[in-house]
Amino acid sequence: MAKAMHVLYVEDEAKIANFVCAGLKEHGFVVDYCDNGNDGYLRAMENDYDVVVLDIMLPGKDGLSILKSLRRAGRNLPVVLLTARNELDDRLEGLNLGADDYLAKPFFVEELVARMHAVVRRISGDRQNLLSVGQLKLDRITREVTCDRQLVELTTREFNLLEYLMRSPGRVFTRTQILEHVWGYDFNPNTNMVDVCIQRLRKKIERVGGSDNIESVRGVGYCFRKPESGT
Amino acid sequence: MKLRSFRMRIALLSVLLAGSALVGFSIASWLLIYETKLARLDSEIKNQLLQKAVRPYWATNWQSYERSLPSIFGATQQNSVTLLVTKIEGQTLYQSVNWPSALDLSSLLLPQSQLPSQLFPPPPEQRRPPELEPPLPPLGMGRPPEEEPRFPPEQPLEEPSINLNELGKLVKIATKSSNRSNWRVGGIITPNFRMAIAVSFADIDGEMSAIRTIFLIFVPMVLILVAIGAWALSGSALQPIHEVTLTIRRVTAKGLDKRISTGETDVEFAELIDVFNQMMGRLERSFKQASRFSGDAAHELKTPLAILQGELERTLQRAKPGSELQQGLSEMLEEVSRLGSIIRKLLLLSLADAGQMRLHRVEVDLSQVLADLVEDIEMLAPHLEVKTQIISGLKALGDRDLLIQVLQNMISNAIKYNLPSGWIKIHAFYIGNTVSITVTNSSHDIQASHKERIFERFHRGDAAHNRQIEGIGLGLSLSRELARAHGGDLKLDPSSSGQTAFTLVLPKGI
Repeated sequence: MAKAMHVLYVEDEAKIANFVCAGLKEHGFVVDYCDNGNDGYLRAMENDYDVVVLDIMLPGKDGLSILKSLRRAGRNLPVVLLTARNELDDRLEGLNLGADDYLAKPFFVEELVARMHAVVRRISGDRQNLLSVGQLKLDRITREVTCDRQLVELTTREFNLLEYLMRSPGRVFTRTQILEHVWGYDFNPNTNMVDVCIQRLRKKIERVGGSDNIESVRGVGYCFRKPESGT
Repeated sequence: MKLRSFRMRIALLSVLLAGSALVGFSIASWLLIYETKLARLDSEIKNQLLQKAVRPYWATNWQSYERSLPSIFGATQQNSVTLLVTKIEGQTLYQSVNWPSALDLSSLLLPQSQLPSQLFPPPPEQRRPPELEPPLPPLGMGRPPEEEPRFPPEQPLEEPSINLNELGKLVKIATKSSNRSNWRVGGIITPNFRMAIAVSFADIDGEMSAIRTIFLIFVPMVLILVAIGAWALSGSALQPIHEVTLTIRRVTAKGLDKRISTGETDVEFAELIDVFNQMMGRLERSFKQASRFSGDAAHELKTPLAILQGELERTLQRAKPGSELQQGLSEMLEEVSRLGSIIRKLLLLSLADAGQMRLHRVEVDLSQVLADLVEDIEMLAPHLEVKTQIISGLKALGDRDLLIQVLQNMISNAIKYNLPSGWIKIHAFYIGNTVSITVTNSSHDIQASHKERIFERFHRGDAAHNRQIEGIGLGLSLSRELARAHGGDLKLDPSSSGQTAFTLVLPKGI
């Protein structure tokens, strides 16, 4: 297991911070939480974090100002912005100021985690390119999936779906959640697309003699089975 | 018909004014010249008549006098001045060859009875022997007499004091016509003889027509010059308006926070610019308010939604897998997601309405996006036949997330409103500098009334479909706003029956 990542999370809305912190901790992050912009900026300047998650609307220095000051001070650590405001404006400004990614509220913690991993990988090179659960191995760079060293040919959607599920074994994903992450659909009731895609994925893995480890959760969605203890 | 061009109107009006002034002036001066010439002619005629009237008729060599007349009158033609002299009894003393015989002189030569005789010198009989009377030229001939008349000796005749003013009243001058030509005829009667000088109008007419010709050439030329000048002048007068228009266009394109500077502008236009700037200020304030409102509203709506979603998800993870509780939580999550989507779309629409849609433009590989979407159709609706004609490397400049949203909307509509075993065709190619993507699907015919309202917000298709097909009726209107924010458009194609086609047009990538 890789070394735990240190996160600075700046958010003024306590209730949101509550479940986000909990979710991040579940995913093995070491979270440093702070509820105002001024403190957030000082901490980001003083400590080395692997990634910073900034809400834009903050008391004191707002998220965009913190980002601007960090970049001006030559701090190139990965930054993910969160916003509940005018999305297009904030995103444009955030990305122009040098944010690495951007997430609009409401979001799933899973999504935030996925984005954080993605930006850290992008910034720091090859860390965590390989996902390996049981027999299945997934390479994010080459976008290849092997099952017991046998190559499984997957389409873009199938690969993204498998990667999403494999990242958090044991976690239940609703169809809507999967649809939003893998397909990028804003709400869409056609969730049976997820079922079709899962079936295809399963068939492809079974064809090379592997077991897919994807469990259906009745009436909810899907879950990647946790590897048996010891593996 | 009213001329739309202000500049043209100004130019035409100038030409009209200058033209009527010039024409009026020309006519007046023409008449004035004519009158002057006539008056000069009349006074010369009178002068000649008087000169001869105060001298006895035999003292004058009428023939040589007649020859000298044209030069006296400045006539160009020999026969344009004619002379008639008759004795009081009616006998012709001298008549020019070309005397216009049709002239009626009765009104010119007063009857003798009215003559104030005291004006004239004493009758010649008392002073001069009658034999000295020169021989008469043959009637109607201008030939000189064979014999030079013997003039009286140079001893000055005792010139009687003659009141020329009084005498002048005896001269009658009028315009007479004969045989197609006009003559100015002056006549005088003395106790001994009558005398008439007729001057043809030919010379005056010739001169007047020359002047007329000059006017006819000169006036149009001046009018053309005036027209050119007025056109140029009105152009330069309108130049500030043109500049203000250009500036306003730049300002409105750049954004509401821009103002026009009044520094260099003429005083007349400074007020216009001031008013425009004030208007822009009000617009900016109200747009900012609307924008801030939608931003604030978004924050206020999304924050509780984010909490709801986060907590629901956390609880869902803790619930027993597959339990009723978890299923219920999943349903709730779905509704939260739907709510989030509606809020997001409404906010995007309000941004589009305020013209505040700021795009993160990058080059988007639409061929790849469409390939992924085609894969989705196969998973989502395997019963549909899919035909594609997508050129490879189709790129557009735009906001990737938003463009994907538009294409997803087009394709999910094509699936939703399809026939049970229908088809979908996707054509994507470049047309000039634009990318054109057409998604066609087999469908029931859309009623004409629906066609018009299909892009309206919260409008849903056939009432019969409402319950079967999920959706909130914002997709198409938002997609069109997104396409327009990209400088493109989304249109319902006038397609044949049994199918529906939407075409998305976007600016081409670099």
